[in-house]
Amino acid sequence: MADSTRHVVFRVETGRYALPLAAVREVVVTPEHFTRVPRAPAAVTGVINLRGRVVTVVDLRPVLGLGEAARPAAKLLLLDRGRRDLALGVAEVEAIAELEPPSVPAEGTGLVRGVARLGEVAVQLLDAEALDARVTALFRGR
Amino acid sequence: MPPTLDMSRYLGLFVAEAAEHLQALSRDLVSLEKQRTPETVDSLFRHAHSVKGMAASMGLEAIATLAHRVEDLVETLRSGASAWDQGLVDLMLEATDTMQGQVQAAAASAPVAPPTALLARLSEAVQARTGKQAAPTRVARDVHFTPGPAPAPAGPLALDVQVQVSLSSGSPGVRAFLVHRELAALGRVLSVQPPLEELRAGALPDGKLTLAVEAAGGEAAVRKALDALAEVELVSVAPHRPTPPTPAEAPVALEAARSVRVRTELLDDFLELAGELLLATSRLREIGKRLGEAQRPALEEGVDRLHGLAKEMHGRVMGARMTPVAVVTDQLPRAVRDVARRRAREVDLVVEGAEIELDRAILDALAEPLLHVLRNAIDHGIEDGPGRASAGKPPRGQVRVTVRRARDRVHIEVADDGRGMDEQALRASAVARGALSAEAAARLPRSEVLLLACLPGVSTAPDVSDISGRGVGMDAVKRAVERVGGTLELASEPGQGTAVTFRLPLTVAVLQLLLVRAAGEVVGLPITKVLSAVEAETSPVDVASPGRTLRHGQVQLPVHSLAALLGFAESAGPAGRTFVVMEAEPGPVALAVDGLVGQEEVVLKALSRPLDQLPGLAGVTILGSGRPVFILDVPRLLA
Repeated sequence: MADSTRHVVFRVETGRYALPLAAVREVVVTPEHFTRVPRAPAAVTGVINLRGRVVTVVDLRPVLGLGEAARPAAKLLLLDRGRRDLALGVAEVEAIAELEPPSVPAEGTGLVRGVARLGEVAVQLLDAEALDARVTALFRGR
Repeated sequence: MPPTLDMSRYLGLFVAEAAEHLQALSRDLVSLEKQRTPETVDSLFRHAHSVKGMAASMGLEAIATLAHRVEDLVETLRSGASAWDQGLVDLMLEATDTMQGQVQAAAASAPVAPPTALLARLSEAVQARTGKQAAPTRVARDVHFTPGPAPAPAGPLALDVQVQVSLSSGSPGVRAFLVHRELAALGRVLSVQPPLEELRAGALPDGKLTLAVEAAGGEAAVRKALDALAEVELVSVAPHRPTPPTPAEAPVALEAARSVRVRTELLDDFLELAGELLLATSRLREIGKRLGEAQRPALEEGVDRLHGLAKEMHGRVMGARMTPVAVVTDQLPRAVRDVARRRAREVDLVVEGAEIELDRAILDALAEPLLHVLRNAIDHGIEDGPGRASAGKPPRGQVRVTVRRARDRVHIEVADDGRGMDEQALRASAVARGALSAEAAARLPRSEVLLLACLPGVSTAPDVSDISGRGVGMDAVKRAVERVGGTLELASEPGQGTAVTFRLPLTVAVLQLLLVRAAGEVVGLPITKVLSAVEAETSPVDVASPGRTLRHGQVQLPVHSLAALLGFAESAGPAGRTFVVMEAEPGPVALAVDGLVGQEEVVLKALSRPLDQLPGLAGVTILGSGRPVFILDVPRLLA
């Protein structure tokens, strides 16, 4: 399985991250108005109305352990399929690129599958499933 | 000439009633295949007979004649003149289906063509079994064009029958009960005095029994039937004269006579009006606040009473909309039989909990999806005979439809003991359809793979059979369930079977909301739970501090800051003095809010994951302005 796959490459704070293109349905520019969610975990920016669907927006900064989300993120990655009502807030979407699967599996959180190279920069490949599970876990037991 | 307005009213009634009888006819025919009981044959006869009578009085000859032939055939079964055979049931089912189509055509005021070939086969069958030519069917002529009083809704002449049960009989009640049964078998018992419940209990003090019957064979048949009974003497038979019931001696009418048919849209209107009434009441309450101390208590008492009545009315209207799931599941045995026969499967259908009630609008929306899921279960789930044998399963497959109440939801589960869903085939089909990449498909967890079946065009069926491979797919089923505020769940074990569960709200998700602002955010409170909105005279500083109470009428209510309950930081400005008094456990509470925004009728959306994990949210909705607003479940917020 050395095939490269198309990924969405984006920035959160100063770090580069990527999700498989198949896991992302669309990229949305963050709207001005959010409806705040009662009793939601801090990582939840709010919900938005996206063509009649109520989509929950979760900021990736706190999820990735990169600190609090002071301002809403600039771009939203709407996740695909079962996670269609969930969007992740990121600073900027930079590229759609073919990325080699990581040669070195990542250690630690389980959110990062490994590191790939895109030109000069190191890109952390995120696991969409693990990310989804992590977000759901934020809500559980509240 | 088009039918007169009056006639079209009767036409509506005819269509509704005939459709019901035909559905029952079809159900009885299917159950007859499994078990032949005299009761089923009697019931068959009654339904065919009723359809014949109704159609005849409406001048619908094609329907009346078909019903007449079916009645003839059932009669041969009943008299034992005809041996049981599968071909006979098939023929009668075909006739029933044809009549259903004709009733629909009549409903649309389309011409109803005589199904000549089918009639010929039916007449032939009657002749073969009775040795007599089928009798012509008498039909009211030109009835559509005759103004004036309506024709009698059903069939033959009704008779008043008086019977004396011998007082020396050991069990007069049982005798009377037998009389009732015999006469019911002739057609229809319109009323019986004393009431049936008393007869069942064995009571018949003076031995006198009075019945009003519609008997197929008229007076002669009544006499013949009673002759056969011991210790029973016929006193008189006369044409039925309807007598207005007196309070002292009300005849026990049939269940049907005690209810009226109401169009579903009328119930929708009622619901809307009941909601408006609640809103108007809260407005009155607000105006009352401006009155002086002297007038206020009297008005408030009146408004409280009005609110109580309006709420009760709202509840009753909701109740009137509740319909047993049976109206949908009753169609299933026939569908199972048809699919099973076409696919050469042996399938038992078990339905449990059909008495559980759901809002009519939800049931209407689910009839078709439920049928589809059931057809899928047989078509793609249940294996053929050799397949089941090699899997070590009993030869007959089973599909179990279970309806359960689960708190404020109803779950309808359709489970089969077939081969289960093929995960790999689903992945492959979804990839082939371009719904997702091969890599994404490979990485999907099992629970989500099953949901791929709900994508448009994705199927595991190797061949598209004519049964479930067309028309609505699982994607349409999922959409239909979500549209009424429900969710769809799939579970499957390879080789063990598949279960499809509809999780449904009890009632339609249309809600009257009181919109309030808390910490700058607008949230919705269900108006049915709101007792009043109050402008407090107390200083805002006082009420905001913990442990404070608000005087409301004669009582002191605990005060909660809504912003704090929601976990929102209090807004910087001066706290409002507006309070919403709401029902909660153990008693009402006052919620301090920034202000009232307004009232709005909204369609409730179920919360999707992960929002459904949060306590205190009843749902979410999108306002006319496009803004999403959460609807609060206040008792759970306080818990």
